[in-house]
Amino acid sequence: MDLLALFLPLAQTSGDVESGLKAIALGVGAGLGTIGPGIGVGYIFGKVIESVTRQPEMRDEITSIQWLGFALTEAIVFYAFIFGLIAFFL
Amino acid sequence: MRSLSRKQILLLAAAVWLGGAVLIYAATGSSGKNEEFQPTGEFKLEEWLPLGFNRAVLYLLLAALLTIVTMVYIAKRMADRPNRVQTAVETVFVFMRDQIAGANLDRDMARKWFPFVGALFLFIWFNNMLGYIPLPVNDHEPISIGSLELPSFAIYAATANISIPLALSLMVWITYHIVGIRRQGLGKYFASWVPAGVEGFARGPIFLIEVISHFVRTISLSVRLFANILAGHLLILFMAGGLGVILGVAALGWFTLPAAVLFFLFEVGLVATLQAFIFATLTAIYLGGAVAAEH
Repeated sequence: MDLLALFLPLAQTSGDVESGLKAIALGVGAGLGTIGPGIGVGYIFGKVIESVTRQPEMRDEITSIQWLGFALTEAIVFYAFIFGLIAFFL
Repeated sequence: MRSLSRKQILLLAAAVWLGGAVLIYAATGSSGKNEEFQPTGEFKLEEWLPLGFNRAVLYLLLAALLTIVTMVYIAKRMADRPNRVQTAVETVFVFMRDQIAGANLDRDMARKWFPFVGALFLFIWFNNMLGYIPLPVNDHEPISIGSLELPSFAIYAATANISIPLALSLMVWITYHIVGIRRQGLGKYFASWVPAGVEGFARGPIFLIEVISHFVRTISLSVRLFANILAGHLLILFMAGGLGVILGVAALGWFTLPAAVLFFLFEVGLVATLQAFIFATLTAIYLGGAVAAEH
């Protein structure tokens, strides 16, 4: 309660708090959303390098699966981004 | 005069880039935040003709025309000794047949559904690629020449609008359910959703989860394509001067231009083709899963 009372005047002094908070939500949300897929994409390519060095004759087969996995993982970044944009514009 | 080494060329390019940014900033400075320019206007659809004919419809028609005309033209003029174009199209054809349809469907299904999957791939690919060619379609920020108002050049893709990927993925979604029901019968098809090995009481909750996952497929399939293309276009737009316009700092536009070129190459070289490939591959996987007895 005391904490709220501390921040209330701050919120009242500036009329643009809502759009500021929305911008923070978009930035933080989309930014955090990139962490997981970033790890995932790195993991996929790391595993591909590992597999190809172990079994170079499987290269063609692995390459097509690699792009499938890459695109499925990478798309998750954009889910976070799109939901951030929805929060920003609504 | 001796020719410059690679290191000198790189240093010179960096000097031009950074020096240009500083010079432009010194010459123009900052004109304050630009409230007038709305980045969302780049994706706004104005009705040009009756019946809702707008920018996205134009792009869709162009992509459909390109898909049909190029493929029919090549197919009509098949020669025993192919020229370069025919070789390229044949490579694409073999890729679609073996990698997209053949790898995810059994033999009969692949023969039957290859035209659908291949047409989806080509249509989405043409849509994505059209999106990176600047066309005079931006009536939101027109150029005035005398009293004439001409639309400015803009990049826009029909797939950067959620309705089009959503329509495509709903089509795929309904198709694979119908195919599954026709192949297996209604009861058996829904029973095949539950993975093998799940017995007794657990079948209920697992079935519910599978129902949700089938519905989520429409969202993931459409949003994946839509968001990839939209994010690519937004990145190119912002890096190629949009940031400079919004913040009113002309030097920023020059500063971020190399990033725009890189993103453009990345989008054209990888994302456009990859997203079409993913859409077609997932269609084939869903079709294959619908006729499999259990997964």
